[in-house]
Amino acid sequence: MTTLALTINGRAHGPSEVRDDLTMNDFLREHLGMTGTKFGCGAAQCLSCAVIVDNPDGTSYAGPTCVVSAASFNGKAIRTVEGHAKNGELSALQKAFIEHFAFQCGYCTAGFLNEAQVLLERLARTPVARPELEKIIAEALDGHICRCTGYIKYHEAVRDVILADPRRYLV
Amino acid sequence: MKSETRFQILVPAAALAMSMLTGYAASQAASNTLASPESFVAIADTETRSAAIFTELGKVLTSPRCVNCHPAGDRPHQGDESRLHQPPVDRGVDGHGTQTMRCSICHQNTNFEPGRVPGHPEWHLAPREMAWEGKTLAEICAQIKDPDRNGGRKAEDLVHHIGTDTLVGWAWAPGFGRAPAPGTQKEAGALVDAWVKTGAACPTK
Repeated sequence: MTTLALTINGRAHGPSEVRDDLTMNDFLREHLGMTGTKFGCGAAQCLSCAVIVDNPDGTSYAGPTCVVSAASFNGKAIRTVEGHAKNGELSALQKAFIEHFAFQCGYCTAGFLNEAQVLLERLARTPVARPELEKIIAEALDGHICRCTGYIKYHEAVRDVILADPRRYLV
Repeated sequence: MKSETRFQILVPAAALAMSMLTGYAASQAASNTLASPESFVAIADTETRSAAIFTELGKVLTSPRCVNCHPAGDRPHQGDESRLHQPPVDRGVDGHGTQTMRCSICHQNTNFEPGRVPGHPEWHLAPREMAWEGKTLAEICAQIKDPDRNGGRKAEDLVHHIGTDTLVGWAWAPGFGRAPAPGTQKEAGALVDAWVKTGAACPTK
């Protein structure tokens, strides 16, 4: 057993005792009931299970939860799909996903959403030139698999959010 | 067929099959062990002995545990079959993955068996110039002696790198479903030491 204390969507959880072999995905879904984070391939290949991990230096990344231990998240701060909407209002990305009909079954959506949010925050810190944008978005979303093939729509939705605030995300 | 005739055929056939199986088992066992430097003392010529020691060390260097992360391209391999890494990943500029897909996102500090993911705090690819994939032992030997292609190491540094580096040491404790490198890390280090002290000669092929 290992002690686990972490912050999820700004709220402290634990400390609690968890099994050493417990995956982070099971911790979120089975222990905390946060089922917005999906379990897909179980091999870190589809990233439907990805959550945002916030680094102490203010940067962040989207990483899988299915192949990593819950214990490895001790002391970390993460964000899940449940944390995007504020005061009952969907985030700009969530609205864009809906407007573009980016998802059908929705199984991959949480992973795409978290990855896109990480991209927005990265661009806010380090804006890019407009000609680079398509490549930047494609690279960011590259690891995520959508069995309903919504790739283009996800891409267009993310692009729309960025272009809606060019002074923030573009140079 | 008379029972006597049948006996005369079946017994030698069974004996042959047994000897083949025994031979197979012996060769499997041999491939998982390393001979000690002392076992090469019978080779009188120092250069020949040095090359023979390196050939023995080659069992480790060419094992999937080493070659998978010394790939010829930008993508690592995985498993005892050395299949291409899934999910698709790229070495990135520093060998630790791309900006959005760092090795450490999945590869934690230790192996995580429920996810079948190997781990080490410094998990990363060897630099491109240190690629061993697809090379002969002679080519690897020449490469490993060349500071431009061995991470700037002197031959003596290789004793420490192979003999005590903990990321290299992972090769002998790779976790479920992966065959460990032959022998032990200490034995491999002893072979490197003996190889260096005998002039670091390379095999011809």
